[in-house]
This record gives sequence, C-alpha cells and structure tokens, in this order.
Amino acid sequence: MAEMSRRSFLKTTAGAAAAVPVLAGGWQHLLGAEKPGYFEREFGISDALCRKVLAASLARGGDYADLYFEHTIGNWIVLEDGKVSRAYSDVALGVGIRTVKGDQVGYGFTQELDEKAMLNAAAIAATIAAGGKTEPAKQFAWLKTKNHYPLKKLLTDVLLTSKLPLVQGVNEKCFARSPLVVKVNATFHDQQKRIMVVTSDGVKAEDLQPRNYLTAAVVAEKQGRREQAGWNLGGRRDFSYFTQAAVEAIATKAVADTLLLFDAVQPPAGEMPVVLGPGVTGVLLHEAIGHGMEADFNRKKTSTYCTMIGKKVAEPFVTIIDDGTIPGMLGSINFDDEGIPGQRTVLVENGMLKSYMHDRISARYYKVKPTGNGRRESYQHYVQPRMRNTLMLAGPAAPQDVIRVAKKGIYVQNVSNGQVKIGEGDFAFYVSQGRMIEDGKLGAPIKDINIMGNGPKMLQNIDIVANDLELFQGGTGACGKGGQAVPCGFGQPSCLVKSLTVGGVRS
Amino acid sequence: MSNGEMAMNKEMLELCAWVVKTAKVAGADACMVNLDSNRSVEVSYRDRRPENIKEASTKALNVRVFVNGRYSNQSTSDLRKEALRDFLANAVVATRLLAEDPYRTLPDPKYCQGRAEMDLELADAAYASFTPENRHEMAKAMENACLQAGGDKVISVTAQEEDGKQESVLVASNGFEGYSQGTYYAAFAQMTAQDAGDRRPNGYSYAVTVCRSDLPRPEEIGALAARRTLDLMGAKKIKTETLPIIIENQNVGRLFGGFLSAMFGRSIQQKRSFLADKKGQAVASRHLTLVDDPFITKGLGSRLYDDDGITAKKRVMIEAGVLKEFFVDWYYSRKLEWEPTAGGPSNLVIPPGRRPVQEIMKDLGRGILISGFIGGNSNPTTGDASIGITGQLFENGEPVQAVAEMNIADNHLKFWHKLIEVANDPFLYSSIRFPSLVFENVVVSGV
Repeated sequence: MAEMSRRSFLKTTAGAAAAVPVLAGGWQHLLGAEKPGYFEREFGISDALCRKVLAASLARGGDYADLYFEHTIGNWIVLEDGKVSRAYSDVALGVGIRTVKGDQVGYGFTQELDEKAMLNAAAIAATIAAGGKTEPAKQFAWLKTKNHYPLKKLLTDVLLTSKLPLVQGVNEKCFARSPLVVKVNATFHDQQKRIMVVTSDGVKAEDLQPRNYLTAAVVAEKQGRREQAGWNLGGRRDFSYFTQAAVEAIATKAVADTLLLFDAVQPPAGEMPVVLGPGVTGVLLHEAIGHGMEADFNRKKTSTYCTMIGKKVAEPFVTIIDDGTIPGMLGSINFDDEGIPGQRTVLVENGMLKSYMHDRISARYYKVKPTGNGRRESYQHYVQPRMRNTLMLAGPAAPQDVIRVAKKGIYVQNVSNGQVKIGEGDFAFYVSQGRMIEDGKLGAPIKDINIMGNGPKMLQNIDIVANDLELFQGGTGACGKGGQAVPCGFGQPSCLVKSLTVGGVRS
Repeated sequence: MSNGEMAMNKEMLELCAWVVKTAKVAGADACMVNLDSNRSVEVSYRDRRPENIKEASTKALNVRVFVNGRYSNQSTSDLRKEALRDFLANAVVATRLLAEDPYRTLPDPKYCQGRAEMDLELADAAYASFTPENRHEMAKAMENACLQAGGDKVISVTAQEEDGKQESVLVASNGFEGYSQGTYYAAFAQMTAQDAGDRRPNGYSYAVTVCRSDLPRPEEIGALAARRTLDLMGAKKIKTETLPIIIENQNVGRLFGGFLSAMFGRSIQQKRSFLADKKGQAVASRHLTLVDDPFITKGLGSRLYDDDGITAKKRVMIEAGVLKEFFVDWYYSRKLEWEPTAGGPSNLVIPPGRRPVQEIMKDLGRGILISGFIGGNSNPTTGDASIGITGQLFENGEPVQAVAEMNIADNHLKFWHKLIEVANDPFLYSSIRFPSLVFENVVVSGV
C-alpha cells in the first residue's frame, strides 16, 4: 500500500481501519484524539482561522455566527440469504457556516476545509445581513460537558471481523427459533460523528457522537401466508453493548413478533379507548406533543400549542420531558449543534405546559435560555429546534389496571411511522403490532392500522399513567423535519387514552 | 453550455476512468464508479424579508468494488488523486473480508447496449442567466400573492425558491460510460391560518420543473397555497362511513408507494412482496394502467440508463389492471433467474382520463375529496395499508365540510379494484405524473 499522510487517511477511509487488521494497529493512537483539538490536529483548523472565517461571516453585520465542522465515518454490513456479502461505507467531511440576524439565517457550506473555500462559504452566509461589520469574540474557550456516551474503543477501531459474528448470530438464531422462518435480513451499522462548533460569542465545543444498531428483519410463512416483523437494539453505544445476549434478544423478539401476526385480526374502525404499551409507543408522544413544542413553530405562531404555556393541558399525573442526557440513548447529546450543553427540559410538569424546546434563535425571541435543542442533520444543514429523547415519566397506576379500565379497545405494542400537522395538532401513527382489549383483558393480535388523534385533545384524554416507564433501546429511530433527519429517542409508560380514531376496515 | 462546463464533463469522465483503472491496479476484478457534482441555491421569505439564504456545491464519488467474487460499495467526497488511491486500496482490502456472492457482478454488457440517442432536454439553457435577484423576486411574489389571497386569516406565510444543477458520470470496467446533466427549479409556498379555537390549519402548494419557463407563475403558486389552506378551515371528523373518494393528483403517489414497494425484484426475492405471484393477473380495476416512461422530455425522472447502466426502456407495468412487469435490477435478476428490467422507476405515468374532477364529483353524489395524507404505512409482504386523510366532504359536486382526523384502510390487492375513474389532470411537477383517481366503496373511519 502506498504511503499516505495521516490526514489523507482520515479524510478518505471509512471502513479500512475497521476492516484491515494490519492497518488498525498502526492507528491505535487515534484514541488520543479524545482530547479536544481533533480538527486542529487532523485538519489544521486553528483558532486564528476560525476567527477569520467568523469575521467574514459577520462582515455585513448580523447578531451571531457559527462554524460547524463535521467528520463522519459510517459503515454498514448486510446479511442476506445467509451471507454477509455486502458492505457500505461513507465518509462525510465538511463545514457549515451560519450567519444569524434576528430570526434570519444565511448559510453556506463546503467540503473543503481550506481557508479559501471557507471564506467563500462565509461570504454567502454573510449576505443575510446588510450593514456594518460585527466583530467575533477575540478568544474561544472549550465548552466542558459530561459525556453521555463514553466509548471504551473508537468505533473506527472495531475490526470488521468482530462485527461479522453479530449479523451471522442474528441470522442463525432467527432460523433456529422457528421452522416457519423463510427469510432473515440482518444489518449492523456504526457511525462515528466528530463535530466541532465554534461560535462568534467565543464558545468552542468538540464531540464524538457514536451511533450504532443491530437489526433483524424476519419473514415467516405459514400455510401459504407470509408475515414480516423485525427488531433492533442500539443507540449511542460502545461496541461492547452488542453481546451474545443482545443478539439473542433481537432474534427472539423479531421471530416472536412475526409469528404472532399469523393470528392477527383487523380491528373495527372508529373512536375507542387506546392503551399504549410501554417503550417504543413513545412515538405517539413525539408526534402528538413533541413537534408542536419545538419553539420555531411557536415563535411563528404556527403551532397549536403557541398560546398554551403556563396552562393546564393534562391531568396532574402527566409529566413529559425531553432529555439529552440519558446514557447511551439515541437522542442524547453532550451539547447541541450550536454549542449549548445537552440537558433535561421539562415540557409538561404535572399537567402544566412549562417550556418549549429552543435553539438560540427562539431563545432570544422568547428571552429565555436556550434548552440545547438546536440540532441539524449534518454540516450541509442549518439548525432547527429538534427533540432529543422525549418521554412521559412514570405515573402511579399498575400496568394491568390500565388495560382493565380500558375495558374494550386497542392495545398498542409497536409502531412504525408517525406524522403530525403542527397547526391543527392532528397526528397519526402506524401500529405494526398490538392487541384487541376485550372485557378488560388482552385479546387477539392486531396489525397494520393507522391511529389518528389531536395532540391537545389526546393530552386531556390521558386517563391513567402506569408505573412501568420503559426507554426504547433501539438505534434506528430518525425524525424528519424540514428535510432533515436526526436521531431521536422515545420512552413511555403504559397509559390509557380515553378516545382515539382507529383506522380499521370495518365500519 | 459554456466552455468551462464542457471541460468539467471531460474532467469528470476522465477522473472516473482513472478511478476504474486505479481500482483494478489495487486488485479489484471489476468496478463501477459514479461521480456526482451538484450546485444548489435556496432563498425563503417570511414576514416580507429573507428568512433563509443558502448556497453550496457538493461532490460525491461512489465506487462499487468487485474483488474475488466479493462486493462492497464505498463513498467519499475527497477527489484528490492521492487520497483516492488510498481510498481504493482500502476498499479492495475491506471487500476481501466479506463472503463470496456469485450473483454479484457487473451487468452483462448486452443489457447496456442500444442506448436511445435522444436529447431529453434535462438542462435548461436559461439556468446560467438565473440571478440572485430573480430568486428573491420569485420568493417575494409567492409570499405576496399568498398573503393577499389569505387575507385576515393569515398567521404565517413562508415562500421558498430552490434551484440547482447537477452533473453525473457513471463509468464501469465492463466498458460502460454514461454522462447526464440537469437543472431544476422548485417553488414552494405554505400558509398557516387562524381557525376556530386553537386550530391553525397549514396548507401548501409547490411545483418542480427542469426549465424555468415551465414553472407556473409564482403568484399562482402563492395564491393556490392560500386557497388550499383556507379549504382546511373548520375541518372535523365525521361519522365512519362507506363512501366514494377522489384522491387529488399530487397525493396519489404517496398511497401508490405502498403498492410500488412490492414491485421490486428485491422484495420478490426476499419474499416481501404481496405481488410476487401476481404477474399476468388483474391486480386493479381495468381503469389502472401504469407506464414507466424514461423518455419524457424535460421529465424529472427521465434518463437513458439506470443505476446499473442498463439501457432505459419504456415499459407498461400495469395494463388495464393486469400486472405486466416488475422493477428488477441486475443483482436480483440473477438471484431470481429473471431478465433484468430497471432498478427502479423513471417517470411513472397513469394515462389521464377524460373528465375534470369537478364534473366527476357531480356524478358521485356524496363523497370525500382527499387533499392530504397523514402518517400511515403499508406492509409490502401482505399489502395491508392504513393512512390518515384530510380533505373535503362533498355533496352533488359541492364541498360541504372540511374533514380531518379521519382514516382509510384496506389491502392493496382489494383497494385498486375499487378504482372507477381516472381524471384528466396529471400532476406534472414530479416524476410521479398521476392524475386524480376515483374509488368507490371505501370505508372512511372517523367518529
């Protein structure tokens, strides 16, 4: 292999350190990069250069500017028809440059981290303002935060040969679970995202955000009928999270959920009580209240929640938070993408609406502190207020009581896909797995049904919250907004919603 | 086209050819290289001033590497030759660690021959003269028209213009070489209105075209966004009822997506397709014909070859309700032992019918005109689907009540048999060029 500079190696190589044992040994000192200064060491990004670029982005005035450096390495290995015969990798490297004036944003980005390219992008961002120049801070101080996703080993140092047994294990265990299983797809994905945020008000913050998941997708066949289901585990995890027990858990649940669908019936259509089981059903919370509480929609008065701060929106046993500090969870962030520390934000406290989720722009508008919700998909995107891990806290009831009181309705176990119309508050989420509730007991399985509701009405209609809060431990959850996808986490205790519209096929 | 652009084409082709050669030197038996170069600009207005201005250029190189019967797919944005040399060497070493896959090869060159010799007119000559002032004027005109049409109901209006140009080169070691370039213009306006209580309906309109001269006037897009928002005022759910429905042209694609997902070779080979054994059978009423047409001039999905380099052909996928073809790429064609067709759709066309929606509504009596979907999903293995709707309840051709928080659910294998008419209004601002469709006996669930 040709000699290469360390810099070009880092810039160009996605899977190689992971894939090539002979090379990996040579780059072990990468671990030293956990100390701040990665972008300076690897790409020569000095404070002086940052200040020059920030000054260019404020050359026509503006209140604030920031630089978002990103170096992301992603790898996927895919098992299909019993073989790991496909791998993908992707390297993203670039810087996004933003100038903010009030609520107006100018944005440029470049894939080349040299001064000329950055100054060009800064000149584009600067066009949002049209006045005299603003001076950026003279010095930058490192932001110190807790690490909510520590790694024992960089994900780029994990050998491909260590990942192969995971997908092979999922495949073998799924087939071993049932003779009805006819197809298994297994994927392992890891992504190591390094970012550095440098702001015109003197903050500089550097992070290493891991993300990974192991998935099983199963098709089973019974008497000529086929059904599919899947499961995954992941988040922002050290590689050691993916143990044999994790492989077993994924395979067991994926196969059991698939087989259950052979007995599934279609529920009747119409309004009825809906019980959310614990865990991933938090998607409903994310849609029904989460998006409407993102402050940009409220600042623009386009959210149904924009007049409700300080008002009672739910019963006193309902508390909803958005938390960026839960160890290893997919939506956790040490700081957000504009250098504000990750934190826990209480949205609804004992039934009262307390706070929106803010980025710097909305915090300034509302004259409050930013809540660390300013996020973006990549250096190619500007910041928006976004959720992190959104969850309802546990209530007082026993889980079995929730089902008993519902008496007749739907029990939701797993959901795929949800959407909300912010202004009306109307939302929908798709139930991929659930049960009928008959006479206060779980009945026949159901599947493939959309459930509709209205956010504020649903909040008022939460009659019981159980004490069984469960955090969804998956790694595949992505939320879309304004054409940007960011990883988000969910959590939910069992709860009863008095009435939602179930989109069944029988009238 | 300027001399600079011509030079760029040559430069991109040469770089790809160099990558192919270098990958082979590094040990690859075969390889396919795709290089994309994009430039995009975006201007949005709110409160009569710019809200966002964004501009950037990107490049992306993707290499599919075949080594010793093994395969991997790797991407980078660093196009310096010394960096690419390392990138390719590492790609080859990594690929060797994977399992052998006898189905994974470059396409047989015979499927890449006979490429149509035609100009698809995908690059607008007027793009070079599209100025920042033009962009701002367009966004302002949309915003202004929307504010005026929305009147005192307006809470917020956002108008956005986006445009770009792209070039793409595909080169493979089997001799394949392809180049395409294109431009696009996108105009989008949305409005939020004050309704009763805390309801703030949001509606939008948009258009995307290859040529600037084909865009509707910005004033029309802005005014339409206001009208579509005002149509949502006073929406409520009505009782669950079995009714005829009309799905508005621009929304049909979202529902059809669930059907389409079962039409791919991968879905069939992986036993995740409710259509796997339905070729030659009626999967919809006689009113549904679906054509995949890559040769529409200025079409947003037009192309002369697909991602594998396989020569594009116009294909009738569904003819008068009968399923004729699947989208089978090279890899799954080998796994299935079928002939390859195309890896995915180019422009999807449902030939328009004769009558406008308004006329059809008069004949239907009572029904719902669906103007938006929310949430929902579709199971490609079973065909079960369920999706939320918004729209207008109509009686005798006249809208009587806006509806929201309602839902339709069915199995695709039953639902498309309920298609009774195709309207005459294909939506031309997308690669999915569908007219409004009319279905009978649909359970619309509400209260």
